[in-house]
Amino acid sequence: MEATAETSAGRGNWRRYLRWSTDHKVIGIQYLVTTFIFFLLGGLLAMLVRAELLQPGMDVLDGVQYNRVMTNHGSVMIFLWVIPVLAGFGNYLVPLMIGARDMAFPRLNALSYWIFLAGGLLMMGSFFVGAADAGWTAYVPLSILAPDGETVWAVAVILLGASSTMGGINFLTTVLTMRTEGMTIWRLPLFVWGMMATSLLVVLSTPVLTAGLFLVALDRLLGTVFFDAAMQGDPILFQNIFWFYSHPAVYIMILPAMGIISEVFPVFSRKPIFGYKMIALSSMAISVLGLTVWAHHMFTSGMDPRLRVPYMVTSMVIAVPTGVKIFSWLATIWDGRIRFSTPMLFALGFISMFLIGGITGIFLAAIPFDIHVHDTYFIVAHLHFVLFGGSVFGIYAGLYYWFPKITGRMFDEKLGKVHFLMTFVGTNLSYLPMFLVGILGMPRRVADYAPEFTQLNQLATLGAIILAFSTLPFLYNAIVSWAKGAQAEANPWRALTLEWSTSSPPPEHNFPTPPVVRGGPYDYGEKPAEALPAAAPASD
Amino acid sequence: MERIGGKSRVKERTILLIILLGILLVGAGLWAGSNVNFMPTAASTRAREVDQLARVMFGIATVVFLLVEGALIYAVIRFRRRGDQDGEGAAYRGNNMLELVWTAIPAVVVVFLGIYAYKVLAAIEKPADDELVVEVVARQFIWEFRYPEYGKTSLELHLPVDRPVRFEITSADVIHSFWIPEFRAKRDATPGQIAELRVTPTRLGTYPIRCAELCGAGHAAMTSQVIVESAADFQAWVSGAPRPAAQATPGEPALEVDGKSVFQTYGCGACHALADAGTTGVVGPALDELPGVAGSRVEGMDAELYVRQSIVDPNAFIVPGFPADVMPEIYRETIPPEALEALVQYLLGK
Repeated sequence: MEATAETSAGRGNWRRYLRWSTDHKVIGIQYLVTTFIFFLLGGLLAMLVRAELLQPGMDVLDGVQYNRVMTNHGSVMIFLWVIPVLAGFGNYLVPLMIGARDMAFPRLNALSYWIFLAGGLLMMGSFFVGAADAGWTAYVPLSILAPDGETVWAVAVILLGASSTMGGINFLTTVLTMRTEGMTIWRLPLFVWGMMATSLLVVLSTPVLTAGLFLVALDRLLGTVFFDAAMQGDPILFQNIFWFYSHPAVYIMILPAMGIISEVFPVFSRKPIFGYKMIALSSMAISVLGLTVWAHHMFTSGMDPRLRVPYMVTSMVIAVPTGVKIFSWLATIWDGRIRFSTPMLFALGFISMFLIGGITGIFLAAIPFDIHVHDTYFIVAHLHFVLFGGSVFGIYAGLYYWFPKITGRMFDEKLGKVHFLMTFVGTNLSYLPMFLVGILGMPRRVADYAPEFTQLNQLATLGAIILAFSTLPFLYNAIVSWAKGAQAEANPWRALTLEWSTSSPPPEHNFPTPPVVRGGPYDYGEKPAEALPAAAPASD
Repeated sequence: MERIGGKSRVKERTILLIILLGILLVGAGLWAGSNVNFMPTAASTRAREVDQLARVMFGIATVVFLLVEGALIYAVIRFRRRGDQDGEGAAYRGNNMLELVWTAIPAVVVVFLGIYAYKVLAAIEKPADDELVVEVVARQFIWEFRYPEYGKTSLELHLPVDRPVRFEITSADVIHSFWIPEFRAKRDATPGQIAELRVTPTRLGTYPIRCAELCGAGHAAMTSQVIVESAADFQAWVSGAPRPAAQATPGEPALEVDGKSVFQTYGCGACHALADAGTTGVVGPALDELPGVAGSRVEGMDAELYVRQSIVDPNAFIVPGFPADVMPEIYRETIPPEALEALVQYLLGK
C-alpha cells in the first residue's frame, strides 16, 4: 500500500501534472496549483492598488495604469482563483466522496482544465497589449471604447466561462449517475451538495455572461450596435446580462466553500453536523433564490424604478437560508470536543467574518441605504468580507484539511497557525476601514481620493501588507511538507467521508474495490465510535 | 453529565439565562442604534430618512453580531478539547423547534426591514410642488449643470436651501454616477436616458460631488461641488452673467475671464501638473515647462496655436511617452471662446 502511494506521488511522476491527463486527481491538483499561482498574481495587483492608495495624489500609477491593475485584480481573483480553485477541490474530491472511479466525462474534464489555462494565460498576456481597464464588470459603453486589451480580456472570459460550464455539466452528471452502492442522495457529504448547487448555477447562468461578452466583442470588432444608445442600443441591457451571471457567481464562489467548512466542523468537534438536511436544502434554496436577485446591483442605474422592490425582497429573503447555515454550524461545534487544528481555525474564521459580509449584505439590499453606499468602498469591504473572509478562508480550510489526502504528507501545524493568525488579522485590518471610508464618501475604483480619507486608507494598506506576507508561511509549509513532511495515514483526522477510507494519496481509480456505504457521512458522537474506518487516534 | 441531576432546575436556570442574555443583547442593540453614527453630515431631508433607516439596521446588526460572535467565542472556549481528552461530542443531529425558531425570527426581521425600507424609499422619492429642475450632463470628466428655468449653465452646482430639487441626469459619453454623499443621493448618468433624482437641501454649506461609476482614466478627478445657499444668494448667482469661472462673486461687475480659474473649473489639474495652480496630476504631460517648448513642438506652428490645438484636438500632437486617446475631445464644445483664449494665455505664462 505504502509502495503504491509512494510511486504514484513519487518524484519520477511529477511530469504528469504538466501533461494531458484524464485522472480527476491529477486534474484536481493541476487546478489547485495553477489557481494558487494566479491568486499570488492577483495579490500582487492588489498590492499595487494599495500602494497607490497609501496616500492621496497619483504617485505609483497613473489613471490608465491604475484602471488596468484594478480591473485585472478583480478579474484574476474571481475568474482565475476563487471559481476555478473550488472546481479544483470538486475535481479531486467529488468522485472520491461518492465512491466513484473518476468523473463522468474524464476527457471533458481535462479539456475544461486546459481551456481554463488558455483563458488565464490570455488574460495575463493582455498586459502586453495594454490590459483591459473597464473594471471586471466591463460596463458598456466604457468597455466598447477601451483599447485592444479589452477584446483579449473578453475572449479570455468567454473561454473561462466555457471551461466553467463544461465543469458544471460534468459535476452534475457525476453526482447524479456515478454514486457507489448505498450512497443515497441524503448520504451525500455537504461539500458534494455545495458543488451540486454551484454547478446548477454555473450551468444556468454562465452561458448568459458568455453570450453578453460575445455581443461586446461584436460591438468592438464588427461595429454592431447592441449596446449603443445613439443607435437605439441599450447599455442597461448589458448590466442585466452581466449581473444575471455575476450575482449567482457570488454563490458559485461561496457555496462550495460553505461545503468545505461543513466537512471540517463535524470532524474537529467529534459531532454529527447539526441539521444536515437543512444545510443541504439551504444550499439549493440559495442557488434558486440566487438567480432572482441580480438587479440589486442596479438600484442606482437606469433600470425602471418600479422593478427595484421585488429585487429588494428576494435579496433580503436570501439571508434566511444563509442564517440557517451559520446557526447550524454553531450548533455543530456546541457541546463538541473542539480541536484547533489549522483547518478548524480557518473554518471558525470563516464564520466570524462571513457574518460581517452577510449582515452588510442586508444593509445593501435596503434600497435607500444602498443608494448612498453603492459603488463606494462600503461595497469593496462587503465583497471582500464575503469572498476573502468567507471563500478564501474556506479554501484555506480545505487546503489544510485535504493536504494529507492529496499529498500523502502531513503539514506543519505551527506554521499553519501562524498563517491563520496573520491572515485573520490582515483581513480585518484591510477591509474593516473600507466600510467606514465608503460611508463617509469615498467611491470605489478611484486612483486618488480626498485627503480626509488618508488614515483609513493607510490602515487598509497596512492590512494588505500583512495579508501579502501571510502567504509566505503557507507557501513554505506547503512546499516543504509536500517534499518531506511526515507520511500521512489514510485517515489522520478520523473522518467518516469516503475519501478517507482509501490510502493517502489514493491509488489510481481511487478504491481497490467499489466501496459500499452503510451509514451517513457525519455519524460522529458518543455512540458509533466502533464504526470508524481505519480509526487511529490523531496526533497534533 | 451535569444535565442528569436536577433536570428541571437546570432547565429553569437555562431559560432565565436566555432571557437575561436576550435583554442584554436588545439593550446593546438599542444603545448602538441610537448612539453610534458613522454617517457623514446630513444635508438634505432625504439624508435624515436614510440615516434613521441606517440606525435601525445598525441596531439590529449589533444584536445579530454580538449573538453570533458571542456564541462562537463562548463555544470555542467552553467546548475546546482539554489535555489528552480523546472522547466524542454529543451525538445529537438536529432540533426541529430550534431550527424553526432560527428560520422564523430572521424571516420576520427581514420582512420588517423590507417594509420599512420600502416606506423610506417612497418618502424620499415623492415628487413635490415647485421643484427646481436642474439638468445634469456628465462627460469625461466634468459635470455640467443647466438651469432651464433661468437659462443658466454652470460647472458648479448652486442650490437654494429648503427648495425641492429634481435632477434630470444624463451622460454625453460613458456611464457616470452623480453622487452627493451629504445628501445620500446618487443616480447613474446613462447615455440615451434621462434619470430623475429628488433632493431637498436643508443645510447651508459646500459639499463635494463625486463620480461613483468607473468612467475612465480621470474617474477619481471627476469631482465638483454643490453650494447650498439662501434663496436670495441663489437668486443673485443665478441671474448673474453666465461664466465658466465660478469664482466670481455675484453682484460685482463682470470680471475679465481668468485663465487660472478656467484651468481649475474644467478640472485640467486632475491629469496635468502645474505648479502655479497647485496641481500634481500625472495622467498627461506636466505643463510647467510649456511656455518654453510650445513654440518648437510642431514645425511651423507658433506656441499659441499649438496650445489651442492641443486643447480642442488632443490627438493632433501627442507628447512622446504619453498614450493617445486619453484626453477627452470635448473641450472644443465645452470651453467658451473667450475662456479658451484666457486658458491659452495662462498656460503660456502670460
